[in-house]
Amino acid sequence: MLIRKNRNPQNNELSFNGHISVSNASLWYEDFQALKNISIEIPENQITAFIGPSGCGKSTFLKCLNRMNDLVDNCRVEGSFKIGDVDIYGKIDVNELRKNVGMVFQKPNPFPMSVYDNIAYGPRTFGITKRQELDEIVESSLRQAAMWDDLKDRLFESALGLSGGQQQRLCIARALAVKPKIILMDEPTSALDPISTGKIEELCEELKKDTTIVIVTHNMQQASRISDKTGFFLLGELVEYDNTDNIFTSPNDERTERYITGRFG
Amino acid sequence: MTATKIKEKAGKALFASSAIICIVAVLAIFVFLIIKSAPAFQKIGVFDFIFGDKWSPNREDTYNSDMSGKYGIFTMIIGTVSATIGALLIGGTLGYFTSIFLVFYCPKGLKKPLNTVINLLAGIPSVVYGFFGIAFLLPTLSNIAPNNGSGLLATSIILGIMILPTVVSLSKTSLEAVPSTYYQGSLATGADHTKTVFRVMVPSASSGIMASLVLGIGRALGETMAVVMVAGNAPTYPYSLFNSFRVMTANIVMEMGYAGELQEGALVATGVVLLVFVLLVNLLFNLISNKMVRSAVSSKSNFKWFNSIRQKINDKVTQISYKINSSKIGEIGAKASGLLVSGVLILIVGFIFIKGMPTLVTTPHLLIGKFEFGSEKITILPALVCTLFAVILSLLFAVPIGVATAIFLNEYTSKSNFIVKMIRGAIDILAGVPSIVYGLFGMITFVKLFGGSSSIIAGSLTISIMLLPTIVRSTEESLKSVPMSLREASLALGAGKMRTIFKVVLPSSLPGILSAIILSIGRVVSESAPLLYTMGSVIKAVPTNIFDSGATLAVALYKLSGEGWYINEAYATAVVLIILVLGLNLIAETVGNKLRTGLKGENNVNKKKSKSTE
Repeated sequence: MLIRKNRNPQNNELSFNGHISVSNASLWYEDFQALKNISIEIPENQITAFIGPSGCGKSTFLKCLNRMNDLVDNCRVEGSFKIGDVDIYGKIDVNELRKNVGMVFQKPNPFPMSVYDNIAYGPRTFGITKRQELDEIVESSLRQAAMWDDLKDRLFESALGLSGGQQQRLCIARALAVKPKIILMDEPTSALDPISTGKIEELCEELKKDTTIVIVTHNMQQASRISDKTGFFLLGELVEYDNTDNIFTSPNDERTERYITGRFG
Repeated sequence: MTATKIKEKAGKALFASSAIICIVAVLAIFVFLIIKSAPAFQKIGVFDFIFGDKWSPNREDTYNSDMSGKYGIFTMIIGTVSATIGALLIGGTLGYFTSIFLVFYCPKGLKKPLNTVINLLAGIPSVVYGFFGIAFLLPTLSNIAPNNGSGLLATSIILGIMILPTVVSLSKTSLEAVPSTYYQGSLATGADHTKTVFRVMVPSASSGIMASLVLGIGRALGETMAVVMVAGNAPTYPYSLFNSFRVMTANIVMEMGYAGELQEGALVATGVVLLVFVLLVNLLFNLISNKMVRSAVSSKSNFKWFNSIRQKINDKVTQISYKINSSKIGEIGAKASGLLVSGVLILIVGFIFIKGMPTLVTTPHLLIGKFEFGSEKITILPALVCTLFAVILSLLFAVPIGVATAIFLNEYTSKSNFIVKMIRGAIDILAGVPSIVYGLFGMITFVKLFGGSSSIIAGSLTISIMLLPTIVRSTEESLKSVPMSLREASLALGAGKMRTIFKVVLPSSLPGILSAIILSIGRVVSESAPLLYTMGSVIKAVPTNIFDSGATLAVALYKLSGEGWYINEAYATAVVLIILVLGLNLIAETVGNKLRTGLKGENNVNKKKSKSTE
C-alpha cells in the first residue's frame, strides 16, 4: 500500500472492497423522482455496464455510488448503498469514499497543470510529498493506463496539450493513482474517436484484473463488447440486470428487447 | 430611394466621426501634455527631473530667465511606488481572499449582499475615502504613530480599500470561469472542498487573478484625492510608515493652483511621467490577459534550462505547501477577509453617517440655505446646483458620442479592421488615464479656451472625455447581447440599417445604456481631481450660467475637510454625497440586473427542465 499517511486514522478501519450492493434506492431532485426503488448487486473485479435512453437515470445512479450527487442542491437519496461492508451514506468520510471509488467523466477533464502534477494530485492530497514516491506512482499509473511510453518524455508539459483520447486516458491514470477499488465511468468514450475508444476499452479489460468497473454507455456495442454484466435503465427504473450475454441474446423484459433492437430510445 | 441612401450614408458618417473623436481625444491629451511639458523637460533636464530628489519650485522661474528653484521628482516617484506596493499588500491580499470567499465559501444567502457591498465600495467617491482617512484613520493611527498618523501606512490602508473592489470583481470573474468539471474531477480523486479550491480552482484562475492585481496597481498609481488627504505631502521620501511624503498625483494637485511658468511645466511633466507609468502597467495587463488565452492551450518554452530550474522551484513550493497544509490557512484567510470587507464598508459608511446625520438634520440651512459672503453659516446648495449642471452638461457631450461610437464599433465594422483597432486602443488608453491627468489636460485646453479661468463648461467638457470609455464599453456590451436574428429579421423586412439600429437594436439594448448613464452620473458626482482646477473649487453663490465657476459637492467636501473649521458640515456633506452615489449605484445595479434576468428568463426554464430529467 503506497498511501501510508492518512489524516483520518479512524477511517483506516473502513474496509472498502470492490463489491457494491444497493437495495431499494430512490432519488429525488426536488419533487422529481429520478430513481425508483433500485436494487442491484455489482460483483467484484468485473465490468458492469448500464445502458438506457437519455435521462433514464443511469448517470444519476452512477453518481450515487461515490456521492457526487452531494454537489447537487435539493437532491435527496433513500435506500441502502453498501460497498463491501461500508454504508456509504452513513457516517463516513466522503473523501475517503471517493478515494476508493474513482470516477472518469464524460468529457476528459485534466487539470490545467503538467501531466505529472495531474497524476500526483491525488497522492499529494493524501499526504505523499516525497519526490521519489510520487515518481513511482506516476510511472505505475501511466503504465497501467498504457501511456507511459507515449508520455514519459512529456511529463512536464501541460496536460491540456494532449489529444482528447490521451486526455481521457490521463484522467483514468489520475483516478488510478490513488489505488481505487472501484472506478466509475460516465460515458467515457462519448467524446472520443473510434481509435481512442478502442484503446480505452482495451484498458478497461486490463484494469478489471484488480478493479471493479462500472460504466455508463450509450453505445450498445460497447456494452456487449466489454461488459460482464449489463443493466438496462428506463425512466428511473432498473428494468433488467443480468449477464451481458443474456441481456443481448434473450432479454426477459419486452422493453429491454425493444431498446436493444433499436425500436426506441 | 436616394433620400434613404443619403440618410444611411449620413448616419454612418456621423457614427464614424464620433468614433474618431475618441482617437482625437487621446491624441490631444498626449500632444498637449507634451507641448506643455517639453520646455520644462528641456530647461530642467530629463535626468535631473526624474532622478533629482529636491523639489523647491520658485514662482518667479520662467523659461527665459535663470532657474532658481529645484525641480526633481524622484522622491515622489518613490512615494508613488511605495504607496502602490503598500496598497497591493493590503488591498491585493484582502481582495484575493475575498474573491475566493465569495466564489467558494460564501453561504448562499450572504453572496448577494456581499457582492453589493463590494460594488458599493467601488462607488464611494475618493474624497469620501480621504475624508474618512482624515476623520477616523489618522486620529486612530496617531495613537501608535510618532506624528499625526499621516504617511505611508495610512495611505496604503486607504488605497488598499480603494483597489479592493477592482481586484475582487475581476478575480471573481476568472474564478467563476474555471470549468466545474475541474472541481468534480478533483473531488472524484478524494480531495475535499478546500483542497480542491486551493490546489485546482485557484491555480487555474491564476492569470486572471494576476491581471486583477495589475489593474489594481493601475488604479493605485493614478489615485489622487484620497492620497492627498492622508499622505502629508512633504516632498520627501517615505522613510518610515509614519512620515509625511508626497506622491506624483499629489504634487500636481497641491501646486497647480498657484504655479509659476516653469513650475507649471514641471507639474505637467509630472503628469507625463505618471501617464507613462500607468500606460506601462496597462501594457502589462494586456500581456497577461492575452497570455491567459494562450497558456490555456499549451505551456511550452524554448529555454530548457530555465524550465528545469522552474520545475525544481515549483516542486519545492508544492512540497512545502502540501506539508504545511497551506490550503487550510487559505480557507481561514478567505473567511476572515469576507468578514473584514463587510466590516470595512459598515465602518466607513456608519462612522460618517453617525457623525454627519445630526448636523444634517439640525441645520437645514446647510442644504437649502442662501449663500452669504463671509458668513459663518455654510451652505452646500450652490455645490448641489453645480453638481447638477456638471452632470447634465457632461452627459450631453458624452452620451451621444459614446453611444454613437459603440454603434459604429458594433454595427458597422469587423473586428480586425485597422481603424477599429485604433479606436479600441484609444478607448483602452482613455480608460486607464488617471483622473488628475484629465484635470491637467482640461486646464491647459478647455480652461484656456473659455477665457483662462475655470468654469462649469470647461469642467464638464473635461469630465465628459473621462466618461467616454465607460459609456462606449457598456453600450457595446448591451449591443452585443442583442441577438443577430433580430437585426436579420428587420433587414429582411426591407428596413435600412439606420432604421434597424434605431427601431430594433437600440430599444433592445436600452437597459444596458441606461445603467451606463446612471453609473456615469455617479462618476461625475464623485470625481473631484479633474474638476478642482477646471470647474472651480470655491464654495460661493449659486451659479447662474455655464461660464460661472463653482465647486461640485465632492470638491466642496475636499475644501471643507481641508480647512478644518467646518468639520461637522464636512461630515454632513459626506453623508449627502454617499447617499447620492450609493443611491445611483443601487439604481444602476437594479437596472442592470433587470436586463440580465430579462435575457436569461428563457434559459432558467430550460435549466430547470434539464436538471430534472438528468
